[in-house]
Amino acid sequence: MKQFTTILGFEFMNYLRNKAFIFTTVVMAAVIGIVLMFPRFASAAEIDISELGGEEGVMALETDVPGVKEAFTAAFPDYSLVTDMDIGEGIRSGAVQCGFKVESLEKFSYFVADVELYDSNYAIASDVLREMYRTDRLSRLGVSPEEVGQVMSFVPEGSVTSTGVDRTKNFLYTYIMVMALYMVIVIYGQMVASNVASEKASRAMELLVTSADPIAMMFGKVIASGLAGLTQLLAVFGSGFLFYNLSRGDWAGNELVASLFDIPAELLLYMVVFFILGFFVYAFLFGAVGSMVSKLEDVSTATMPLMMVFVAVYMIVIVSLSSGGIDNPLMFVCSFIPLTSPMAMFARIAMTTVPLWEKAVSVVLLVGGVIAAGFAAAKIYRVGVLMYGTKPTPKAIWKALTQK
Amino acid sequence: MDIEVRDLHKSFGTKEVLKGLSFTARGGEAFGLLGRNGAGKTTTIRIMMGVFPSDGGTVLADGQPIDYRKVGFGYLPEERGLYPKREITEQLVYFARLKGLTRDAAAREVARWLDRLEMGEYAKKKLEVLSKGNQQKIQLITAVAHDPDVIILDEPFSGLDPVNAMLLKDVVREEIDRGKAVIFSSHQMSYVEEFCHSVCILNGGVAAVSGNLMEIKRAQRASKLRVRGECAGQLADLFGGTAQEDCVILNYDSEDGRLELMKAAARLGADEISVVEPTLNDIFVAATSEGV
Repeated sequence: MKQFTTILGFEFMNYLRNKAFIFTTVVMAAVIGIVLMFPRFASAAEIDISELGGEEGVMALETDVPGVKEAFTAAFPDYSLVTDMDIGEGIRSGAVQCGFKVESLEKFSYFVADVELYDSNYAIASDVLREMYRTDRLSRLGVSPEEVGQVMSFVPEGSVTSTGVDRTKNFLYTYIMVMALYMVIVIYGQMVASNVASEKASRAMELLVTSADPIAMMFGKVIASGLAGLTQLLAVFGSGFLFYNLSRGDWAGNELVASLFDIPAELLLYMVVFFILGFFVYAFLFGAVGSMVSKLEDVSTATMPLMMVFVAVYMIVIVSLSSGGIDNPLMFVCSFIPLTSPMAMFARIAMTTVPLWEKAVSVVLLVGGVIAAGFAAAKIYRVGVLMYGTKPTPKAIWKALTQK
Repeated sequence: MDIEVRDLHKSFGTKEVLKGLSFTARGGEAFGLLGRNGAGKTTTIRIMMGVFPSDGGTVLADGQPIDYRKVGFGYLPEERGLYPKREITEQLVYFARLKGLTRDAAAREVARWLDRLEMGEYAKKKLEVLSKGNQQKIQLITAVAHDPDVIILDEPFSGLDPVNAMLLKDVVREEIDRGKAVIFSSHQMSYVEEFCHSVCILNGGVAAVSGNLMEIKRAQRASKLRVRGECAGQLADLFGGTAQEDCVILNYDSEDGRLELMKAAARLGADEISVVEPTLNDIFVAATSEGV
């Protein structure tokens, strides 16, 4: 235990004294601070952020149908309408961004240079014309314009009551958490592997194996890197939280940002649990891999298989997340396997209602996985650190694991 | 403290490295663990220090099976290397603490050893700024700062200039005088000969030669007498043998023959009469020329 704390302290200081580590942490915290404080700076500089991004466009309209111009002017407040222009010519010359040719209430064409991902102009125009058409036909049938208006604008009274979770709200921070876990594991996992490999390459290992217990060594190193990672995340998210609260009032209208800082306490707890356990499962394995290579250059090749598994998990979770179908069988299975559960189970908890027993089983399996990975890593480490030049074959790894 | 290995066996895969190795290194003495490259010296050292288990045999400390919590080892590996980017004092204190010293005791001992080895001015520097020889002195501190019972030095003199070699010799002598068991593994026979009371020459996985160095030398005397003096040529004519300048080597076949030769040489006024003893180098080559 004494060795463990000594190693932990030494390794942790290794990170804290690393200039690159300090630099990235400070820069990330500063960038987040600046972004979140932007409304303040903006109001000081008298820029109205609500105007940003909504720049006014020009739309050409070619029509002889009465009433269409007025209706379109009302329906497209972001555009100024021009009617005396050839649409094709206008778009080519860049004078207009898009244009409508309305031949009758039943027929129209939309012209645009680039169809954007979320171009709703066509749908808006279609709605406008349909409404005009219905009003026109109904009034011909003798219905008064007032009655038509009433019928057309009727909306049934209803409300949404969600007994589970609100996916629309949770999506963003689930995404961010999965992303953060991915980045931290990739970066710190590689760091642990390189750390072990560099000790081997510099031959400091020759002395270390005779000075310290491999289990204390492996746990000390991995937990130190975990603490360093947490320190970094705390600095970054802490600065985010701080600056958000400093300018909370200015963000009031922005649901996206508000939802990000409005994580329920229970979910936050799950986030921390899965984050920490997920980190350790991978960090131990990365450490074991690092101990099997002889040269620093070989680390990235040797960690490749582990990385592939990890990237596959990440892809499964991200695709399931963005497709909306989070409750698929693959995600269900993934949410119990220790290597995949940190991301998969967290995503499920955040996005759907997961029974308590599933959460409990997943966490228990993950804790077991962390302990197993820790001891397996220590065993591989003990044998691996003294292997120079030999390739880490599956047979050699198995022997290391089963050796007394 | 005496360290004894008894009947050690160790195989790596199909290669049997140790086939029943035994020797004893006594406290207050230096012991030479010798052998050709690949003979199994490092494997033996690692088993002694408990890095990995042997397949058979035991390691004893003062006659009892060794308890690694109680017996302290200091080790200077042949493959040197510490943390090039970390401050010297910081990493030395780290290693001393890993070996069980408290933070304060570690800091005190490290400072004392840095001064003892004339490295005090580098205490706050990064290791990588030092020359190879100075880095080696720093590494030596990791082997002695925690005041271990047994000190194992693998090629301690390689890369040291004569002044530093002298300094290291003094340090090693002090440690021997303090009752430590010092185990040398080296190919520089002159140093081993100078320090070691006993040796073990490993060959083919066993101790080809083992025991007190003086006794080994005596046992391997080649029945030759070396006489120096103006009478050298005369003796060569009388007893057969070739004289070189004022020196002659004479062969004898029995104790009586030796005494007779010595008397004759003394009568003729020889300046120096000595029995030719094999050097450690000769013994090593003879013991290890067959097989590894």
